[in-house]
Amino acid sequence: MSGVPQLTRRTMLSGTAALFAATSVRAQATAPRVATLDWALLETLLAIGANVVAATELRQFAQIAVKPEVPETTVDLGLRGTPNFEALRFSRPNLIFNSNFYTWADDLMGRIAPVESHAIYKLGESPYALAERVTLAIGERLRLPAGRRLIEDLSVRLDRYRLRFAESDRRPVLPINLGDARHYRVFGSDSMFGEVLNRVGLANAWTGATSYSATAPVGIETLASMPDAWIVLIPPHPADAYRALTGSAFWKALPAVREDRVVTIGSINPYGALPAASRFADFLAEGLIRVRNG
Amino acid sequence: MSAMVNLPMPMRRLRTSLLAAVLFGIACAGAFALLLMLRPRVPGDVAAAEVLDTVLLWNSLMPRAAIALICGAALGLAGVLLQRVLRNPIADASTLGIASGAQLALTLGLSFSPLLADFSRELVAFAGGFIAVAIVLALSWRRGLDPVTIAISGMIVSLIAASLSVTLVLARGEYALSIHIWGAGALNQQDWNGVISLAPRLAIGGAVAFLLLRPLNVLALDDSSARSLGVALHSARFGILVLAVWLSASVTATVGIIGFVGLAAPAIARLCGARTTGHVIVAAPLTGAAILFLADCLTQLLGSGFSDLVPTGAATALLGGPLLLVLLPGVRSFSDVTANADAVLRHLRRPIAALATLAFSLTLVLAVVLILGPTDDGWDLAGGTLFTDLLPFRLPRIIAAGGAGAMLGAAGFIMQRVTGNPIASPEVLGVSTGGGAGLTMALMLFGFPSPPVMLFSMALGALAAFLVMIAIAARSVFSGERLLLAGIAISAFSMAIVSMVLAQGDMRSYILLTWISGSTNRAGSFEAWTALISLIVLTAPLFLMMRWLSILPLGPNLSRSVGLRVLPSRLLLAVIAALMTAISSFLVGPLSLTGLIAPHLARLIGFQKPYHQLVAAILIGAGVLMVADWLSRIIIYPYQVPVGLFAALIGGPYLLWLFGRKTSI
Repeated sequence: MSGVPQLTRRTMLSGTAALFAATSVRAQATAPRVATLDWALLETLLAIGANVVAATELRQFAQIAVKPEVPETTVDLGLRGTPNFEALRFSRPNLIFNSNFYTWADDLMGRIAPVESHAIYKLGESPYALAERVTLAIGERLRLPAGRRLIEDLSVRLDRYRLRFAESDRRPVLPINLGDARHYRVFGSDSMFGEVLNRVGLANAWTGATSYSATAPVGIETLASMPDAWIVLIPPHPADAYRALTGSAFWKALPAVREDRVVTIGSINPYGALPAASRFADFLAEGLIRVRNG
Repeated sequence: MSAMVNLPMPMRRLRTSLLAAVLFGIACAGAFALLLMLRPRVPGDVAAAEVLDTVLLWNSLMPRAAIALICGAALGLAGVLLQRVLRNPIADASTLGIASGAQLALTLGLSFSPLLADFSRELVAFAGGFIAVAIVLALSWRRGLDPVTIAISGMIVSLIAASLSVTLVLARGEYALSIHIWGAGALNQQDWNGVISLAPRLAIGGAVAFLLLRPLNVLALDDSSARSLGVALHSARFGILVLAVWLSASVTATVGIIGFVGLAAPAIARLCGARTTGHVIVAAPLTGAAILFLADCLTQLLGSGFSDLVPTGAATALLGGPLLLVLLPGVRSFSDVTANADAVLRHLRRPIAALATLAFSLTLVLAVVLILGPTDDGWDLAGGTLFTDLLPFRLPRIIAAGGAGAMLGAAGFIMQRVTGNPIASPEVLGVSTGGGAGLTMALMLFGFPSPPVMLFSMALGALAAFLVMIAIAARSVFSGERLLLAGIAISAFSMAIVSMVLAQGDMRSYILLTWISGSTNRAGSFEAWTALISLIVLTAPLFLMMRWLSILPLGPNLSRSVGLRVLPSRLLLAVIAALMTAISSFLVGPLSLTGLIAPHLARLIGFQKPYHQLVAAILIGAGVLMVADWLSRIIIYPYQVPVGLFAALIGGPYLLWLFGRKTSI
């Protein structure tokens, strides 16, 4: 029922997109200078090729989110909690994208450039669906067809992974981030990682909701209560914690460990947008397949 | 009591002690039996679950029980050693800053040199704890290691160490999860390594303590008697101190900060009848083990499934505040901090001219911090459009910082006047952290409260803290050191509440962390107007209360004799001071120490009359925080140091200098 109008709109939009793609070389020179405080929006903007002139905590971003790469020319605004508005002013953005986490900064930043707010993480709403909506909106706002392409590519890729995982052992997956040798954070069904698991047809071993992010630190004993699961370790984790944990008798006795169902993937921003989701899906597919093939 | 004295005391005491020991034993055994019975079961396939259950029992539950006993005993032993060697009933790893020093060292190690932290967490922790306690002792050295001075310096060193750790956590972003947990010591174990490393240390500590029994006994006497009995006083003291620091730092390195067990254990042991040093040295570790074990069983039993209710360290920290209050009557300050409160070092002949100079300097500071700043291409004097562009960012934060500084100066002035104590201040009296407890409550009730709600809850918290303290202190005629100790107790209790929510590691903890570090970066017109209006509204009435403010420092008796109604006047002033504290800690965090520095500097410069002192304290407070705010945004540009923390780093050394001076403060 909804398929027909959507198709028409999509056709129309992709037509427009193609038009802009053709003129993209000329557009680059006059592309709006954008800035953001939020990492999820930052990775979205970078992924669709926006001209990002300023963003927060770039050193940390390079370590945790890793991809997409931040251009050398982008100005570091300092910590997300205490962004430097003077540095933001000096970078002369035309447009600032903000998220609901930093609403308090709207008025202040409004004096530098127009601020547009987008929310990816909202209580009780799917971060994946919101990320799609936000990517689309930003893509349209900046006239970058790559936004729509990002959504479609990822959607296609997740469908492909779903088929591939359908042939696998169909065990639930437990995506966790190690805090120290005795505690971890888990990503529930309402987190971005949880959403990706859902979309590729894998069950999340953690059944409780975790209010769109990670839970409070959970004791490592709880791993025993999910004997069937694949354990997916998402870095970064303290090196000594990893070593102490994996050396312990308890860890070695876990069914998942004895049966080689532990995968350590690359570092991902846990409060990310579609690029983070895409990274997680790729790692998951690569990791689970690599382990199964030995 | 007098009837009991006639009975054979040793027998009676022995019976009480035995009874207490048996009761503790039964409670521990009962709690552990409950824990074993009610422990969550591993779901899934029966055979696999059985295997896992056994592994959990022997590699998690049992070592955890053992580590609780060992850590409790080690902390109890460290506590009794510290208390004996410093002749101070409130000495403990928490009050002396050992735990926070060790934590800071480990956090630094984790952030900057993982290899070092990896090599020996214990050594790093020991170094941190030792430096902290060395600073605390150096601060109180000139006052003959006076218990009250030690407690206050310990608290301030702890605050500064903790705030540095917080800044590191903030600087590392949200991934410093292990520090969150670790800041409020959790006892979870996944093997016997912790037990294997700590148990021999406890055994060695115990053995050495026994060897030192005689010097310890002698050290309880005063120095001259001790020396005449032939004890190498300084080396014995130093040896015992090192042992105690080593024991507590080892515990901190293994499981994190376990608050106040070292304070509680000897106190409860003494309550149960242990009298001689020998008795207490045996009883305190046992009591400590029992306390920590019970607390740990309780938090496991009350938590759902495999998760604990709160980190055990945060749970025991709740004991700290009330315990300090109970111990209060036993603390005898032998160097009276209050005696020379009004000793003015020099007199200003023309105070009005001096005030005018101060006001002019403040204007100059304002101009400089408004105009001068770094840009992408080096330093720049902002003028023209750039100035008007930057004004909306610079002005509100400068006004917020300045206003908060002014209010802190005034609040500190009131507190120093009311208590007649030259180092009373919002930070020292626990009013700032009381506001933090209020904020924590608001976060728990509303999730994400709006700024006015946050402000209101902090004011309530600060007021509650101050009123509780007045109630306690009024019973001992509001004497100076009682008040300071009560303030430390309130601080400890409030921080325990704050750290429970901090340990959750979610968005709320992030808000609390931001609050503790105290940043003016977010200041907009709301904050600026709040600062300005509350400064005017709250300071104006003070100028009508000048008579109170000049009479109250003379003490309650004298005040009464000249017809002043002491309690109501103190209460009204307390309400004003609490409001000022809450609002300024909302703006610049609880740690700035400006409330201590500003009024003190005003007196030091030589302002004598309360009226002049108040104006000077306000001007100096505003100036100090404006400069701190400016430095905090330029020093690692474009990154920013939170201003409250930055000011604390200025205030800490100032306090050090203050204590180090030979003459009275």
